[in-house]
Amino acid sequence: MSTTVAADAPMRSARARRRPTASFKWMVIPALLFAAGMIVLPFFWAIWLSAQETMIGGEPRFIGLGNYQRLLADEEFWNGFRLTMLLWLLSLALQLVAGTWLGLLLARSNAARGLVRTVLVSPFMLPPVVIGMMAIVILDPGLGVANWLLARIGLGPLLFLADPGTVMLTVALIDTWQWTPFVALIVLGGYLSLPRDVFEAAEIDGADAWQRFRRVTLPLLAPTLVTAAVLRSVDLLRFFDVIYITTQGGPGQSSTTLNILAYRRGFEFFEFGYAAALMVTLSAIVFGSVLAFARIRRSVAW
Amino acid sequence: MLRRTLAALAATAMLAMPAAAQDFNWRAQEGRTVTLLLNNHPWSQAMRELSTEFTARTGIRVRMEIFNEEQFRARLTTLMQGRSADVDVFMSLPSREGAVFKRAGWYTDLAPLIADRARTAPDFNYEDFGAGMRQQATLDGLVATLPINQEGPLFYWRRDIFQRCGIPEPRFVEDIPEAAAKLRACDANQGVWAARGLRGAIPYALTGFINNLGGSYATPDGKPGLCQPASVRGIEMYANLLKDYGPPGALNHTFTQVIELLGQGRVAMVHESSNEFANIVRFPGRAQDIGVRVLPPGRETGISRPVVIGWGLAISAHSRQRDAAWLFLQWATSTEVQTRLVQNGVAPPRASVFQGPAFTNWTNELPIRRAWADALVEIGRTGTGVYQTPTDRIPEARDIIGNAVQQVVLGRASARDAACAADADLARLQ
Repeated sequence: MSTTVAADAPMRSARARRRPTASFKWMVIPALLFAAGMIVLPFFWAIWLSAQETMIGGEPRFIGLGNYQRLLADEEFWNGFRLTMLLWLLSLALQLVAGTWLGLLLARSNAARGLVRTVLVSPFMLPPVVIGMMAIVILDPGLGVANWLLARIGLGPLLFLADPGTVMLTVALIDTWQWTPFVALIVLGGYLSLPRDVFEAAEIDGADAWQRFRRVTLPLLAPTLVTAAVLRSVDLLRFFDVIYITTQGGPGQSSTTLNILAYRRGFEFFEFGYAAALMVTLSAIVFGSVLAFARIRRSVAW
Repeated sequence: MLRRTLAALAATAMLAMPAAAQDFNWRAQEGRTVTLLLNNHPWSQAMRELSTEFTARTGIRVRMEIFNEEQFRARLTTLMQGRSADVDVFMSLPSREGAVFKRAGWYTDLAPLIADRARTAPDFNYEDFGAGMRQQATLDGLVATLPINQEGPLFYWRRDIFQRCGIPEPRFVEDIPEAAAKLRACDANQGVWAARGLRGAIPYALTGFINNLGGSYATPDGKPGLCQPASVRGIEMYANLLKDYGPPGALNHTFTQVIELLGQGRVAMVHESSNEFANIVRFPGRAQDIGVRVLPPGRETGISRPVVIGWGLAISAHSRQRDAAWLFLQWATSTEVQTRLVQNGVAPPRASVFQGPAFTNWTNELPIRRAWADALVEIGRTGTGVYQTPTDRIPEARDIIGNAVQQVVLGRASARDAACAADADLARLQ
């Protein structure tokens, strides 16, 4: 009897191992097919398109790396690249600093925690078009409420989105307003999962608040912050909606980031091949940033 | 009251139809659905309500997608480039995109349909559309669209403020900067001027200044002509008005902000589309205190050459509902519907409606409406649909022209330098 049981056991466990594997496959295959159909194929199609010279009404012509050569000599590309990098670095820095501060503040405050978190979630739940329209209404230098409020405290008026010198800072601040709470919630989650005894030990050793933050909290939170940075970077590098709604890349070319430039080349001027080359280049930049952050994450892991 | 009067006139027109017209089978495509892709425009807004009447008459359901102009163009380009049959009817500006769309094969040629007695209502009367509009809609013999309106930028000014400050109505385009200076001196708190400052939107409003001061977008040998002295003067005047007397943030403004500023009484003069007339007079007091006319001519040149364009309705070459779509086009551009659209401020492209009793009665109710209608007649007679340098890459050319004006407004370049630099870029589009 016991022999039978002993003989059956490995068979059952083998079956048990096989069964989840088969169902796992069936569950994964549709997702893989979907990803291939919706992500991989269009991406390779974009790469193929970027090697063509396209004109509406004419047959596409294969030009190899011609669009990329044109891009390297295009002042608008370099202007777009500079603005994309500026927006990325500025917004990321603002959001990481403000998000960390807000996250730690939330961790220490118990007052109306649920309500506060709900309120914090609301900005990034809003569709970008709503954010853009709000920015137009509030920040219009003549019609908006922002300058009216500034005038009440004796400041301004400012041109905000209408001044080439302040437009990118204004866009960065709009994005920071929307996405700082997102970073704060990630930081809050990360902070609450940290081991408490490390903080107690630091306190017993006589570390003051700044030292505890700098030597204990920040290093322990580093992997969480890198995760937040990756998520925000992907969004920031391909930032589009708010700029398009508020300035369409102006005044002049002062907010024409790479994504805006590619959109205009593709959909307004019908140069789909060149627009595809711009987007493939932007995708490479996004991939590059993700890889860089993955390396940083490994170096700060504990 | 007006609505009832127009409805009665339309009903009378129906009754007066010849028997042959009433025999036309409007229900030949019953049960089908046509999908419209429309730009956000007073015509489209009015069509939201009116299209139920089309369904009642024909049994054809109407699915309507309305987007702001940029999004509308992006969606149209995506669908048409993908040869999608999702759109049957779309709005189009032949003066802007006609050449490119025709080359792409996106338009159904309407000429055979117009000539087809079985498919076209006997009272349709294509010749009733103004000759200029028919010409704009016809591309090398292909009838791309049926006109649904005519429009162009007009000069609107606050008569009461001019009167209070003792400033005469500008008779020449050169009087506008002078009036602006006097207005500023008269009341420093009153905003003076507004016009489009958004890059791609600028040429529509700029062109009258260039033309009236004797300039042209083209040199006599067909090259880009912004750098010509008279064209530079036009650019300079437009840019300086925005820079010196325009609202803060003008470079992000298009028609929405311009009419808001005039409507709210924040500025005393604007150069904005005739289309926006109905929206402007909806603001309290504006129907009584504004004046409207075509941009005044140049003092020395005597030239008045405004922009006039007309949106049209096209049938997609990829549509699978061509016959149902053709019924929609006939109905939407009919005398009956155009008569109804007048109350929405849509200037009718049919001569019979423009000169008909409904439109005349409506315009005679208020002096400002009469002035608006007179201005429309004038732009129809003297206007041009060309507001870019010679090229078929029209959106790109307008973008470069708008960018040159922005550089002047920002103080980054003189009008001459910006115009000559733009000419070099524009030459590459030829």
